[in-house]
Amino acid sequence: MNRALRTLPHRTANCRSLCYGSALTFLVVLLQGCVTATVDEMTFLEPTEGIGDSSVVILGRRHAPDYETEFDFIECIGDHIRRGDNSITVLHELEFINMMYPWFEPRTAPLNPQDIDRLLMQEPVANQFTDIKLEYMIWIDGSTIETNSSGSMTCGVGPGGAGCFGFGTWGNASDYEATIWDFTDQTEVGRISANTSGQSYMPAVVVPIPIIAPVQGTACDSLGDQLLDYLSATR
Amino acid sequence: MISGPNRFIRLTAAAAIALVLAACGAKQVVVQGNFPKPLMEKTPLTLGIVYTESFANHEIYDEAAGREETDWLVKTGDAQVDFWDTLFGGMFTRIVHIDSHDALHAVERDVDAVIIPYVEDLQYTIPLHTNVKVYEIWMKYRFRLVTIDAIHDHGNGELTYDPNQSLADWTLSAYGKTPTAFLQSDEEAVNLAAVVALRDAGANFATSFHRVPAVAEWLDTKNTIKELPAPQANNEGNGVSDDSESVSL
Repeated sequence: MNRALRTLPHRTANCRSLCYGSALTFLVVLLQGCVTATVDEMTFLEPTEGIGDSSVVILGRRHAPDYETEFDFIECIGDHIRRGDNSITVLHELEFINMMYPWFEPRTAPLNPQDIDRLLMQEPVANQFTDIKLEYMIWIDGSTIETNSSGSMTCGVGPGGAGCFGFGTWGNASDYEATIWDFTDQTEVGRISANTSGQSYMPAVVVPIPIIAPVQGTACDSLGDQLLDYLSATR
Repeated sequence: MISGPNRFIRLTAAAAIALVLAACGAKQVVVQGNFPKPLMEKTPLTLGIVYTESFANHEIYDEAAGREETDWLVKTGDAQVDFWDTLFGGMFTRIVHIDSHDALHAVERDVDAVIIPYVEDLQYTIPLHTNVKVYEIWMKYRFRLVTIDAIHDHGNGELTYDPNQSLADWTLSAYGKTPTAFLQSDEEAVNLAAVVALRDAGANFATSFHRVPAVAEWLDTKNTIKELPAPQANNEGNGVSDDSESVSL
C-alpha cells in the first residue's frame, strides 16, 4: 500500500510590467493568482507494467442534489493523462455514458464496485464492456465553488471613451476525490483527493486587469498527476 | 430619402429599440437533443404507441410574475416524441405508431399492448427564481398500458380508449439540472436541463418498467419477464386506474 500526503503551494503569479500596449493583453492572460493545493493519495495494486491495450474511463458523480462534478473538469483530467502517457486509452466521458445508456445516468450509475455484477447480467452491457476492454473505472466526486467575494467596480462609457475604476476580489475552492475501481476484479484499488483554494483579484484603473487563481486547473493537474503515476508504466 | 449621419442615427435608434423590445419578449425554448438508444436486452413484445396531440405538441407557457422577469415558452413535444421513440425502439422487439384509423386496423392483430404516455406536469426553475446557480426541470409522466381492444375507432378519425381495459397505469418522475456556465444563455441552459430530464425519465422507465406490479403481472402471463438491475428510485402509483370513462386520444 502506498500512502502519501503532500502539500503543494503553487505560486504562479507573474508580475512583469510591459510598456507596450499590444503586450498588455498577453500580460493579462499570464497574470495568475496564488493557489494552495493539498493532495492525499491512498492506492494499492498498481499496474506496474501499465494497462497495456486496456482502457480507462473517468466519470463524474452527479447524483447529489446540490452540486455536480463538472464535465470540463473530467475532460481536463482525461487530457492530462493522455498528454502524460499517450499509450493509455482514456475513453471520453460523454461518449461512454451515451454508449452505456441508461446505466450510467445519475439515477442508475453504480455506487460501489459490487454493483458492476448487476450490470453485467445484461448481455448487451457485458458485451460492450468486453469490446471496449475496460480495465479501470475512475469516479471523480466534487466541485469548485466560490467561497467569498468583495469589492466594487464602476464602468462608464462616454463620448471620449470607456473605462472602469475599482477593485474586486473573490476566492474559489475545489474539493475533489477520485475513486479507482479495478473493473476486472470489481474492487476499489485507490482513492486520491485534491483540495485547492485560491484568491483572485481584479484591479481596474481604466482597464480591468484580472489576476485569476487557477484553482480548478491546479486541482485537475494534481489529480491528473497522481492518476498518471498510478496508471502509467513509464512513471 | 434618408442619407448620411441622419440615416445612421435612425438605424442605430431602430436597432436599439429592437434590442430593448427583444429583451422584453418571451423567451422560447424548443427542446432539442441527441438521444442514445438504450443498451439492454429487448423485451419480446410488439408495442403499439399512441402519442396524444397534447403529448406530441407539449409545451409549457409561464407568464412573468414581475417586471424583472420574462415570459417563458418551453416546447418539449418534438423532443418527447423523438426521445420516447428511441427508447421504446431499443426496449422492445418492435414498435408501431397508432395515430389513425388506418394505422389501428393495420396493426391490430400484431400488437401485444399499446402504451400511451402523458406529461402530467412540468416545472422549471432558473437562477432568477431561486438564487441558486442551477437551471432545473422536473417532469411527471403518466403511462397507460392498454390492450389493443381498448382502442376504439369512431370512424371520424377520432380514436378513444376505454380505461377499464387498462393493463397498467402508473406515473414516474424525472429531473434534470444544469449549472450556470460562462457564455451560456438561459435558453441553452433550460434546453440542456430538459434533455437531462428526458434522459432521466428514460433511465427511470427502462429500469422500472418490468417492476411495475401490474406490468410484471401482465408480462408474467406472456412469459417475458426479464431480470433487470434494481432501480434506485421508486415508482409512484403502480396500480391500475379506476377510471371508467372513455378517454379521447
